[in-house]
Amino acid sequence: MDENEFERLLAICRIRLSEKEKPLIKNDIEEVLEYFNMLDSVDAKGRVAYQPVEVEGVMRDDNVEAFGNVAGMLKNAKTFRFYVVGPKI
Amino acid sequence: MSSIREFSKREKPEDYYLRLVEELKKLNNSLNAFSVINEGLSSGMPFSVKDNICVEGIETTASSKVLKGYIPPFSATAVERMLASGFGFLGKTNMDEFGFGTFGLNSEKEARNPFDEKYVAGGSSSGAAIATSILRYHIAIAESTGGSIAAPAAFCGVVGFTPTYGVVSRYGLIDYANSLDKIGIVARSAEDIEETLEIIKGRDRYDTTCTGRALGREPRKRIFIIKELMEGVDESIKSHFTGFAERLKGMGYAVEERSVSGMEKAIAAYYVIAMAEASTNLAKYTGYKYGLKNEKYSEHYNEFFTNAREHFGIEAKRRIILGTFIRSASVRDRYYYKALRLRAELLARMEPLLEEGFVLAPVMPIKVPKIDEAKGLSPLEMYKADMLTIPPNLAGLPHVSFPYAYIGGMPLGAQLMTSHFNDYSILGVVKEWERVFTYRFRYNIGSL
Repeated sequence: MDENEFERLLAICRIRLSEKEKPLIKNDIEEVLEYFNMLDSVDAKGRVAYQPVEVEGVMRDDNVEAFGNVAGMLKNAKTFRFYVVGPKI
Repeated sequence: MSSIREFSKREKPEDYYLRLVEELKKLNNSLNAFSVINEGLSSGMPFSVKDNICVEGIETTASSKVLKGYIPPFSATAVERMLASGFGFLGKTNMDEFGFGTFGLNSEKEARNPFDEKYVAGGSSSGAAIATSILRYHIAIAESTGGSIAAPAAFCGVVGFTPTYGVVSRYGLIDYANSLDKIGIVARSAEDIEETLEIIKGRDRYDTTCTGRALGREPRKRIFIIKELMEGVDESIKSHFTGFAERLKGMGYAVEERSVSGMEKAIAAYYVIAMAEASTNLAKYTGYKYGLKNEKYSEHYNEFFTNAREHFGIEAKRRIILGTFIRSASVRDRYYYKALRLRAELLARMEPLLEEGFVLAPVMPIKVPKIDEAKGLSPLEMYKADMLTIPPNLAGLPHVSFPYAYIGGMPLGAQLMTSHFNDYSILGVVKEWERVFTYRFRYNIGSL
């Protein structure tokens, strides 16, 4: 992974690293990815397991339900009138 | 008699809970088991909750600065069920940030081993295991993704149970990796675990992966030791483990060695899946809906979110970066898809074996390390320490960790795993073991 790729990856993740941290983390990541390369020998054909246990598609009706503690939920955010305050888009 | 039933029958002095909390607070200053202690506890058998599981009205942070100040407006299903059964909420237990750690050191306050404070407690459910080791009557509700219950239970000399994936509702759990996370139990005996499992298991409309399937207790008379798992185990442990296997033979079990190919790649497959899922789960921490606030609302949202996410610890940042890379279109088939393939392969190889017998392994490949030794490990060395706990977690198999020996005053833990939904069977074996082996505890806060 070259410097540009690494910087691009950080921007996608919205993670900022200090100049001191960057080479250390990049080195850790390269070491771990090299270790992950052992998966190259796994046969790509066959079943994949997204879950360890088969889960039936349990669907529920798409009904609106009142959440019992809206006031408690909103206390976690900065609010203005009935709105959660967030950054500009 | 289980300690749950014993506690309900015993007379308690009037100031029982007051004294319990006072003693606990003192010891907690040196061991860092709890992040929150409920000083108002006044009834019920005490139970603790890992800090990544929501309790209404109690600060829940998963040991992350990003979630500092978050007060859940609801409780997890497991917590609701414990409270409804008369248990008393004692507090939130310390853990590695978001579950990212093997030793309990990835927290603002490093967890220390109750047998000797110079040693690690194990992680990520470090506080759950310490609390169980120091409290006479107590149940810990914990969580495991890749070994977060088994590892600290082994290092702290208590019993840690991780059920089949989907047996206990994950509603109210702060996700690490959805296809791997399981809420489980840490206690001082298999009997206490079985009684607690009866309470917290079962279908939940808020978690569609929670199946509500009946749990079996099909006994097995054969126990398999997997050759590939033993290859990386420290020599200083092997002789003790062999001695333990001999004792199991004396209890009527046939102990045999078996081989499962591909097991050596389980660590890689696990971390690929766990990091990929973690990087998406952690995307929701953006600094305005809950937790620590970035109040500079005039900033452009890219800068706003990046500033808010500076509060993640370094291991969380490492996993976000790796997980995001793994999910990128150019390498997804190479890493993520292959990891899912290996999980399916390992399940297919383990299932027939587990129909014939239980699988037994040490929990950790090393003795309990000193805190300074563990701090010197590189991230990859730390991930490799999970080599024995990852296979059952990757495959969603029920497994139980319990003490089988003590060396130099520190406990050694073994783990027993079985097939999906045969959860009670392994607790039955541990109950048999507990009839011939006495666990040691240095503290017994709250004795009656």
